[in-house]
Amino acid sequence: MRVKVISRSTDEFTRERSQDLQRVFRNFDPSLRTQEKAVEYVRALNAAKLDKIFARPFIGAMDGHVDAVSCMAKNPSYLKGIFSGSMDGDIRLWDIASRRTVCQFPGHQGAVKGLTASTDGRVLVSCGADCTVRLWNVPIATLEESADPPGENSTEPVAVYVRQNAFRAVDHQWDGELFATGGAQVDVWNHNRSQPVKSFEWGTDSIISVKFNPGEPDILATSASDRSVTIYDLRMSSPVRKVIMMTRTNAIAWNPMEPMNFTAANEDCNCYSYDARKLDESKNVHQDHVSAVLDIDYSPTGREFVTGSYDRTVRIFPYNGGHSREIYHTKRMQRVFCVKFSCDASYIISGSDDTNLRLWKAKASEQLGVVLPREKRKHEYHEAVKNRYKHLPEVKRIVRYRHLPKLIYKAGIQRRIMIDAAKRKEERRKAHSARGTVVTKPLRTRRIIKEVE
Amino acid sequence: MADKKRKSRDSQKPYKKQSFNFKASGKEGRKKRTGPRLPNSMKKVLERLNPVDSEGEEHDGRIDSNENDKPFGNDIYEYEGEVAPEDSRKNRRFDPVEKLEYELPEDFQDEEILSDYADGDDDDGIGLTSHEGEVDSEEEDDGRHTRMLQGITGMPSEAFEGKKKRSSAVVSEAYPESEYNPSHDILEGDGKINIQDLLDPLQDKAGYSELRKRMQQLENKSAPIQAPLPKPDREKVERKVAYEQSKKEILKWEPLVKRNREAPALFFDEDIDLKYSTVGAIASEFEPRTEFEKKIASLVYDEKVMEAHKKDGARLLELNKVSVEEEKERRDRIAKMRSLLFRHEMKQKHIKKIKSKTYHRLLKKDRLKAFSVQREMDPEAAKEQAIKQEFKRAEERLTLKHKNSSKWAKRILKRGLDAQDDGTRAAIAEQLQQHVLLTRKMNSMKENSSSDDSSDEDEEDSAASDQDSAAKLLADARGKTLKALEEENDAPTSGVLSLPFMVRGLKKRKDAAIEEAKLALEEYEMTSKQKEDSHEAEKSRPSTSSGRMVFGAVKPQIQNKKSKPERTLDDSDSEDDVEANEDGDIGGQKEDLQNDIGNGSFSFDEDSQIHQNSIFKSFDNIVKDPSAKTTYEVSIFASDSWRKMKDGKKEGTEVGHSSKKKQEVGEPAGVDKHLKSVELNELGEESDTESEGQMVDGVLSAGPARSYELPSQAELVQQAFAGDDVEEDFEKDKMEILNKENPEPEKPVLLPGWGQWTNVQKKRGLPSWMLKEHDDAKRKREEALKKRKDAHLKHVIISEKVDKKAEKLQTKSLPFPFTSKEVFEQSIRMPIGPEFNPVTALGALNRPEVVKKSGIIIKPIQFKEVNPHEKGDNYRGNEQKGGSKRKRGGDGAGKKKASKTRS
Repeated sequence: MRVKVISRSTDEFTRERSQDLQRVFRNFDPSLRTQEKAVEYVRALNAAKLDKIFARPFIGAMDGHVDAVSCMAKNPSYLKGIFSGSMDGDIRLWDIASRRTVCQFPGHQGAVKGLTASTDGRVLVSCGADCTVRLWNVPIATLEESADPPGENSTEPVAVYVRQNAFRAVDHQWDGELFATGGAQVDVWNHNRSQPVKSFEWGTDSIISVKFNPGEPDILATSASDRSVTIYDLRMSSPVRKVIMMTRTNAIAWNPMEPMNFTAANEDCNCYSYDARKLDESKNVHQDHVSAVLDIDYSPTGREFVTGSYDRTVRIFPYNGGHSREIYHTKRMQRVFCVKFSCDASYIISGSDDTNLRLWKAKASEQLGVVLPREKRKHEYHEAVKNRYKHLPEVKRIVRYRHLPKLIYKAGIQRRIMIDAAKRKEERRKAHSARGTVVTKPLRTRRIIKEVE
Repeated sequence: MADKKRKSRDSQKPYKKQSFNFKASGKEGRKKRTGPRLPNSMKKVLERLNPVDSEGEEHDGRIDSNENDKPFGNDIYEYEGEVAPEDSRKNRRFDPVEKLEYELPEDFQDEEILSDYADGDDDDGIGLTSHEGEVDSEEEDDGRHTRMLQGITGMPSEAFEGKKKRSSAVVSEAYPESEYNPSHDILEGDGKINIQDLLDPLQDKAGYSELRKRMQQLENKSAPIQAPLPKPDREKVERKVAYEQSKKEILKWEPLVKRNREAPALFFDEDIDLKYSTVGAIASEFEPRTEFEKKIASLVYDEKVMEAHKKDGARLLELNKVSVEEEKERRDRIAKMRSLLFRHEMKQKHIKKIKSKTYHRLLKKDRLKAFSVQREMDPEAAKEQAIKQEFKRAEERLTLKHKNSSKWAKRILKRGLDAQDDGTRAAIAEQLQQHVLLTRKMNSMKENSSSDDSSDEDEEDSAASDQDSAAKLLADARGKTLKALEEENDAPTSGVLSLPFMVRGLKKRKDAAIEEAKLALEEYEMTSKQKEDSHEAEKSRPSTSSGRMVFGAVKPQIQNKKSKPERTLDDSDSEDDVEANEDGDIGGQKEDLQNDIGNGSFSFDEDSQIHQNSIFKSFDNIVKDPSAKTTYEVSIFASDSWRKMKDGKKEGTEVGHSSKKKQEVGEPAGVDKHLKSVELNELGEESDTESEGQMVDGVLSAGPARSYELPSQAELVQQAFAGDDVEEDFEKDKMEILNKENPEPEKPVLLPGWGQWTNVQKKRGLPSWMLKEHDDAKRKREEALKKRKDAHLKHVIISEKVDKKAEKLQTKSLPFPFTSKEVFEQSIRMPIGPEFNPVTALGALNRPEVVKKSGIIIKPIQFKEVNPHEKGDNYRGNEQKGGSKRKRGGDGAGKKKASKTRS
């Protein structure tokens, strides 16, 4: 009697080292594995559950400020550094890795309202309610040798420019020498000049926020307290267009990967994504917050953005999705005044009323530290499978579920009730009036009053 | 609005003035112009001759001059030129006398004075205060006007005095009109002295052409300058323009953004920095580590050699010098090798020439033995051999070299095997056997491995007793056929098969089947006899490995045969399932046939096995199909009459096949037959594969049906629905389903002993609560039935049973980005796991939408041209350091790997 076996050359399955993985030979004939779909569905389910189990987004808090954190700026060339300014005029540079203050920039008399850093990360610009714009040299040396941070060193401003009106916001151009401040009007400054290079004034209301377009560095957008969002073009050196909404826009963020698009964080709990070329309607309405959205920042990948709200939560939205994919909150976090995505798109930093900066993971269940290639592949597979079956009810339920603080949960329900009621009312009004007299505007245009040329 | 007002005001101004002036002079002017007039040139001449001119002439001139005062009507530069103080003589700085002598060029006036031009235009009369003649006529008009103004404004007339005073202060011309003393009307335009006129006298002077050119330029450029818009308007326009511009600017991003959005994955992980990309660069970094490498390095980088390389080749030649002894030695060595080789070659040739088969066989045996020994001793050689063997196999599979595809084999087959001598036939058989040997692995892979193993185990034992078992099987088959024949007698009593026309058809087919079965039995008798004959022949033949393989293939067939009849026999008892059973059987038959085809290649070298096989199959099929489904295999052995029924198309192949088989059946056993069968099987295999499609759809089922005439359609329908009440059946079905989904409440039953302990209760019957409960349940059920979707649909059953387990695998509605159900289902059809996909495809399947590494700063998008025709697959989302492109997809994984290994 002879026994037949499949013969393979030994080279194919011998390991070079004992740590190596055994090579597995597989027959991919689909007829041999008929349960593949069921298997993958179960895996998707498990992946979703695992995601929930490992969702630990909060990494740590950075405390040191005495007053509420009003603004933050990331260092575009240095991943670990983040600047924060507080309401008492204190500016700090933090080392995210060690979560400690590296350097302080004292000088502001009132609240620091705007912070920004140049693209090379060497100059920090701050402005505040004390009507001054201050330029600081960022101490590179202390950044690099952050191993011995206990001696908190401080620096003097390189330049202080005093103007007549208080400033509300500042932003630096990408890869350029200009920065813009917003207050009574929009001023565009050069590092080397003590006077603004240009000033724009369109309307009389004060500017709340200023943002340069990172992709198209000569374009900037501002929002003002007259509920308008205005776009300026420095090449034409004139304001370009303005759109007036029903409620104020608190912050603006340009999509770094799509230079025509920006998203405005509005007072009415929603964020509105606009195409700068078509301001008469927003491209997308991102709704989930239950209170005014105070700050917004795009991920450098351009695929999602983070918002901080007055409802004490931080949410992450996909750039093209109507609802948030993630919500972050802690018991002690108060009103979130500023949020930033880190430059590598994997962390989120939020600054809030409770004088703390908080560091979050951008993906709640992401594994920190070194991930082996095999692990990485596994994660990717889990993600892919989960993504594939995300529409099926069980997976969907698990993926969507978030535990919310009672207040926010209740507020959300209430908000929904209100919206539904308004909708119902409108429907009834429509039903009882002549055809065509009551027109339901789509949500994307409902909150826009007009586009001003 | 404000804007408009302003504009309208602007436009009204001149109009008013004009009308005001009309009062003063319009009438006269009109009169003058309507009458017959002299041409202007003539008038000029007259003027010159008669300096104190009539009023009418002046009026005419005045009116004409008005042209120049139109807001933007004429050239402003021209205008300036005309009112130059020197020319107008108003400042009187120049001596007027000298001008009398000057002679004017002839073309001076004719050029510009157009009499027609003057007509119809009388817009404006302001500033024409220097008219002597006008004063008088204006006097009273002015008085009236002031009065009017006074009336309107309520201001004293002194307020309006100034204008009048000025007009009175104007002194009329002191000099007679001439070219050199241009009168007012000439200055103001009627005279049409323009720049051209002034330039003409300078024609001969130096710098004239330059001056003229400049003037022309000015004229060409001269567009009316509008009054600046108010600031907000201006800014608005500016913004609009700027907006358009910046919109246009931003448009360039569109293709880039579009590509990003459409890309299945965006890459933000930085490129691996390959510092040394060329072989030379890598080699230059090489450092010898092992001893051998060091030795080589010391030789290569020997100072002398390096030096020699640096200089010319002469030194190298010197270094290359070899001694005579060395050279001699080398030559001898080579010669020896050559002679050895030659001898070996000769020896091989000699061996090759030896024709003795026994010798070769022995040689082969020796070699095998040596090889097996070697294999045990030396795994390396064994592996080599295995690889060689594998290669041969693969080659055979690819080329089918031994499957009668050679020129020689084709020729022989063309002539017919019968015409050949034994040797040739044997050779062909040998070749085919080789083919089988070489392709064996493939076939064995195809089969179920477990059955293969079992057959392998069996084959050793069964090889000896194969004749016996075959006989036994034949006997079995006969018994079962008979049994089946007996059983066929009971006909179905209900269902579709009970319909009269079906019954008739069935009967006919049954008859045919019985006949065939009988034939088959006869065949069986015959073959059993033959088998006994062939038994002797087989004994003489040495058993080959292929013999075993036949059993490997046949065995499952036998097993099938054993199992299938039992099943079908069982089934045939249950009448409802008959039809389904039939269908299944058809499928089974098809499968069988295909199996046969597959197995054919195994079995052809075994002579009598073929017949056994086919008979088994035929019996198998007959037995399997008690409802008289004629099978193909049976028909092969059946009478000629069956052949007539066959398709024209099929006849060529199938009939040939069957007839040949018949022929073969009749042939005496032996080697010849064996060969024949080989060939036949080959043929059969080909033809079968060709006509498989037909067999599948047509012949198998249709073949027997043709045996009786088809009734007309109407007849058929009538027959088909003769006695059945479809509606009633349906209602019954529906009721059944309803009952299943909403079960009827059980009737309250008086439990024995329940409430029977007093007579009172016994009299009352069932307790009221029980009845009530029952009623409630009934009502509930009825309500539920009413609520059903199919409550009002008489001919429809809508099942409302929800399968909870299935429900969780379905979405309630189509998920958002998908447009149709099919697309969505397609998107989750193929598995993406590592168990189901090769490693090369895995990366692309599982790649997340955004590929990034934590710790790498992602910069905002930078502009670069996008080729719209380029496929999106070799794209990186963000070119960070002007890095090279990386491919995505299956390609990408490989490339990535490669780059990693390089680094």
